[in-house]
Amino acid sequence: MPNILIVDDSSTMRKIISRSLRQAGLPVDEIYEAGDGIEGLAVIASGKTIALILSDINMPNMDGLEFVKAVRANGNTTPIVMITTEGGEEIIKDAMDSGASDSIKKPFTPDQLQEKLGGIL
Amino acid sequence: MSLNSAIASATKFSEEELAKYVIQATREVFSTMVMMDPKDEYPLQDPITRFKCSITGMVGFAGTYSGVISIHCPVNLAMKITSNMLGVECEEVGEDLNDAIGEISNMLGGSVKQVLSKGGLDVKLSIPTVISGEDYTVNSLSDNDCVVIPFLVEDSKFIVGLILKKED
Repeated sequence: MPNILIVDDSSTMRKIISRSLRQAGLPVDEIYEAGDGIEGLAVIASGKTIALILSDINMPNMDGLEFVKAVRANGNTTPIVMITTEGGEEIIKDAMDSGASDSIKKPFTPDQLQEKLGGIL
Repeated sequence: MSLNSAIASATKFSEEELAKYVIQATREVFSTMVMMDPKDEYPLQDPITRFKCSITGMVGFAGTYSGVISIHCPVNLAMKITSNMLGVECEEVGEDLNDAIGEISNMLGGSVKQVLSKGGLDVKLSIPTVISGEDYTVNSLSDNDCVVIPFLVEDSKFIVGLILKKED
């Protein structure tokens, strides 16, 4: 089963996303966590096999948009789905232009995760 | 406490409309992330600035609009909220409690920002700030430009406030 990386500065939100993925019945093996974009890049650089990255946008140190750009700049094509309170069209367009695959608005339900991520996992 | 009429006019929202958005956002966040169903008791009868054994989460707006959205709740209720969000018992004030209340304020800020911002780039959200203590006060320097919504959930009350200003 696939491994997932969750990048979010809120440990509460990382736990909610982890629980919701399993509640949604999505096939998930290991879930790796990072508190910002810099930590996210470190997890990727460690060589772990990751099938999907879920990233917040509004984070300290390195935000989600910078993180997506950095991942893509390294030639990494892993799907990245933004999970964020930032639902504005222009911000989502920025994220997609930077290389994100899709977005999910917080707050969300497990069903919404299933709908958005079922085709990726 | 009410929304200044000039600000309500500038934002093109009435106080009642903004109250409606705050109530909708709060109920959505609580029903999907906290598994609680709070009832609003709008309007607030008397201003509340002093909080005892409570925790406050705040997120600021900057850009076309500036302001702050905040949630204030008693620590006992905050522990129940945190326990529901995490799926494990929270029994003390600490990192989990602060993070959970901060994230609720972050989601409330995101929802209100969607109402205020055309595409999302003209209004920026701050990283959440959390304050807790046995006895503290929270004051706006201008006390006429906010909407404050009291809520009741599981026999406990909490309030959500929105302070807003349209920038020139």
